[in-house]
Amino acid sequence: MEKNKTSEDSIKILNRRSFIIIIVGAILSFIVSLRLFSLQVINSNFYKKKSVENKLSIKLTPPIRGNIYDSKKNLLAGSSSLYEFVVFKNLSEDHLHEIKKLDSLIKLNLNFGEISKHLKKYNEYTGFSLSRASWEQIVEFEKNKFLFSSIKIIESKKRYYPFQNFSQIIGYMGQPTQSSELYSKGVFHLERSYEKHLRGKPGKIFSEVNAKGKTIREISIEKSIKGNDLDLTLDLTLQNYAQSQLPSDKKGSIVVISVSDGSILSMNSNPTFDAQIFEDRENNKINELLNNDQKPLFNRAFSGFYPPGSVFKPISALVGLQRNLIDPQKEVFCKGHSSLGDRNYYCWKKEGHGKVNLKKAIKESCDVYFYELAKKTNIDDIASLSSNLGLNKEYDIGLSNIGKGLVPSKKWKKAFLEENWYQGETLITCIGQGYNQTSPLQLATLYSALLNGGKYPIPKLDKNAPTRFTGKLLNIEHQKIIINSLNAVVQEPRGTAYKLSISNPEFVKIGGKTGTSQVIRIKESEREDDQYKSKEIEERFKDHSVFVGYAPYDKPKYIASVIIENGGSGSAVAAPIAHNVLDFAFKNNV
Amino acid sequence: MFRDFKSIFNLNWIYFFILLIIFWIGGINLYSAAGGSLDPWASNQLIRFLFFLPLFFLVIMLEPKFIYNFAEIFLILVLIGLITTLIFGYTGMGATRWIRIAGFNLQVSEFTKIALVIFMAKYFHKLNAEKTIGLFKSILPLVVSIIFFILVAIQPDLGTAVIILALGLVVIFYAGIKLIYPLLSLGAILSISPILWTFLKPYQQNRIQIFLNPDLDPLGKGYHIIQSKIAIGSGGLKGNGFLEGSQSSLDFLPEKETDFVFAIFSEQFGFTGSILLISLFFIMFLIPVLKTYKLTQVFNKIILFVLSFKIFFEFLINISMTIGILPVVGVALPFMSYGGSSLLSNLIICALILNFMSINEKKRMFT
Repeated sequence: MEKNKTSEDSIKILNRRSFIIIIVGAILSFIVSLRLFSLQVINSNFYKKKSVENKLSIKLTPPIRGNIYDSKKNLLAGSSSLYEFVVFKNLSEDHLHEIKKLDSLIKLNLNFGEISKHLKKYNEYTGFSLSRASWEQIVEFEKNKFLFSSIKIIESKKRYYPFQNFSQIIGYMGQPTQSSELYSKGVFHLERSYEKHLRGKPGKIFSEVNAKGKTIREISIEKSIKGNDLDLTLDLTLQNYAQSQLPSDKKGSIVVISVSDGSILSMNSNPTFDAQIFEDRENNKINELLNNDQKPLFNRAFSGFYPPGSVFKPISALVGLQRNLIDPQKEVFCKGHSSLGDRNYYCWKKEGHGKVNLKKAIKESCDVYFYELAKKTNIDDIASLSSNLGLNKEYDIGLSNIGKGLVPSKKWKKAFLEENWYQGETLITCIGQGYNQTSPLQLATLYSALLNGGKYPIPKLDKNAPTRFTGKLLNIEHQKIIINSLNAVVQEPRGTAYKLSISNPEFVKIGGKTGTSQVIRIKESEREDDQYKSKEIEERFKDHSVFVGYAPYDKPKYIASVIIENGGSGSAVAAPIAHNVLDFAFKNNV
Repeated sequence: MFRDFKSIFNLNWIYFFILLIIFWIGGINLYSAAGGSLDPWASNQLIRFLFFLPLFFLVIMLEPKFIYNFAEIFLILVLIGLITTLIFGYTGMGATRWIRIAGFNLQVSEFTKIALVIFMAKYFHKLNAEKTIGLFKSILPLVVSIIFFILVAIQPDLGTAVIILALGLVVIFYAGIKLIYPLLSLGAILSISPILWTFLKPYQQNRIQIFLNPDLDPLGKGYHIIQSKIAIGSGGLKGNGFLEGSQSSLDFLPEKETDFVFAIFSEQFGFTGSILLISLFFIMFLIPVLKTYKLTQVFNKIILFVLSFKIFFEFLINISMTIGILPVVGVALPFMSYGGSSLLSNLIICALILNFMSINEKKRMFT
């Protein structure tokens, strides 16, 4: 009985313990239920979103890039098909081995370290591009296709540039640099600045994927939208012709613009390059180009800055007229040099021009006349008029590395050289030497401003961009005097470019101004002299030959600005080239 | 050895029916885990179930006396089995958990749980004259539990080992140890847990760290927990519907047919389904437990209570893992996770429960 009682007590304890455990179990179940409530009811939307993000894959299909045309709808940049060797990890376990096989069969010179590093990170179902495939390589691959189960040839689009003479304006494309960029983009010149315009909108393929990234089904497809085309003001035939006019062994540039609206009709620089090599990833050629000390990537038309030489003189003359420093009829006597303080400043004509008025000073490019004017001139007036007429300015027309150049002022010198201005510097500035730095495109614009009477159209490359005028109107009398003088340079005997009228009388009649841009200050008296024999001077110290002209001289339509680096005198080298190009433009009505 | 055949009519058919419902839910869940296919899991699991069914009824028909008498023998058998596993075991996924018997990969640790409970039930049954169990009398079952814990933990299979130890402790607690000892040992465990930490394998430490902060390694070890939470959370109140769980059908959920099978279920059937499932398991737990109140024999009470608790306990541990309130230690969801050993051992447990629920306690049964 005693035994039985203890047994009953012990049974009671078991039942009590059982109760405790049931309560604990119920509490635990309640905690689990609360947690489920939090996950599935309170935060359900958060996890629903996560779940959708998990399963949805958006694959972008690159859009077709807009074409670039010249003003007559000749294709300058388009898209063409391209074939690539692409490896798909999911198709074979053996894909690395197959890549090696491919490399030994077709010499692709692949970097295995890089490739296997990239492949490790790559989604199994997205192909990885190994290399471009040429026709020969495709044929070779097709013959041995049975060897490769993970490698396929995939077609895509590449940029196609039919004319290499436009590379320095259109630029080229580059590989994506950030992981957020999915396909190549313009990295230079117009390809870069018109990227948004040309690019178009990528298509999107929404698909449901599993955890390994394999597409289960496509949900929807948004088609890609082709980029906008771009029409340029350039003229294919003129561009090609002008390039042929540049001496192949000399560095130089020709810019042709339209007087009426500032359209750039051609813009050449020598040496040039072929943008196609970047698209075709011809690494040897690219390296050669980047290491070329002639800098073919450098477009001298807007990135090349030189002292303008005598083509600058119309600005000095205008300042003289505006400030009443000169009477156009009043003559100055040129005895071959002029002195200021204890220093002599020489005219290019050693024996002097004799009596010189303004028209003769421009026509025969007399330096002494401008020295005498400069002695009375405030350099800041020169600087401010230059800016009004298109110099000292950066044109925002979508070109990379377009420069601003320089027309010096007192403020500029103080700020950059920390020195005061000397009047002697005004003398050499007034004849376009000294600190003056202008590009061929700026000089063309300067002459457009002169011909337009001060209010000139800003240069443009985009044919559909509106024509915008800038600058201040000039006194019409002053303008007439200057233009007459510039016409005389070519049309009248003793003009520095009169030879053009004699040697090619059937050509369109032009006006313009010769210039000789000094590289070093030697033989100052010999500048602009046709007898200039500088063979003894080392090539790189020879002066740059400059000419800016317009045609026809009585009803100007085209302006050509030419510079030939180390070419010698303006009249001998640059002027005939400009005449040829202007005649071509006029005759072909570009 | 066997009971009268008629006793089959005394079975608690409600319990058996709930078992079938849970197994059926597990089956259609495996079907949906395979993206709406019987292959490879659902069909296999069904075949196993049918194959094990004769054994299930065999266990139901066993004389409780026979089980009582052979308690030590069962324990020695699983001990041999565990040692054999360690020496000759088949290694998979970095652990040696299985031995091959007659063409089947058997996970002995699953059966250890049953043998241990039977052994301890018998041990405490013999002590039932004592009112409360002192510390001294608890040492033998505690040592036995710890030995089996270690044998399983070094496989390594921490999840199963922890369950074995927990079941041992629950038996000791249920049998009536003075409350002071469990409370003291809880304090002791908390104070030495930093030392225990150093005994864990790096991957186990890793799992616990990542459990505490899954975002430490969202694509590695934390991936399981994150994806499982996404699956369960995206199920919402009503669930995405049968076969509409994208997380699982698109393979975002690893081990979805075994440890994370609840996530598959919950993604499809939502909070409502989850609560229903919890209720089912809770009822399944309570039915035998309520029966224990009518029993007076300690052996019967412990067998019924602790084995019933085992199924519910594993269920709670498993879903706590999948919802991120416990570290991922690898505990199967009874009758729903894919796996033969777990299914067989749980069927044996249910058979024992059915067996002991049908006992008519008129006389002192075990002496």
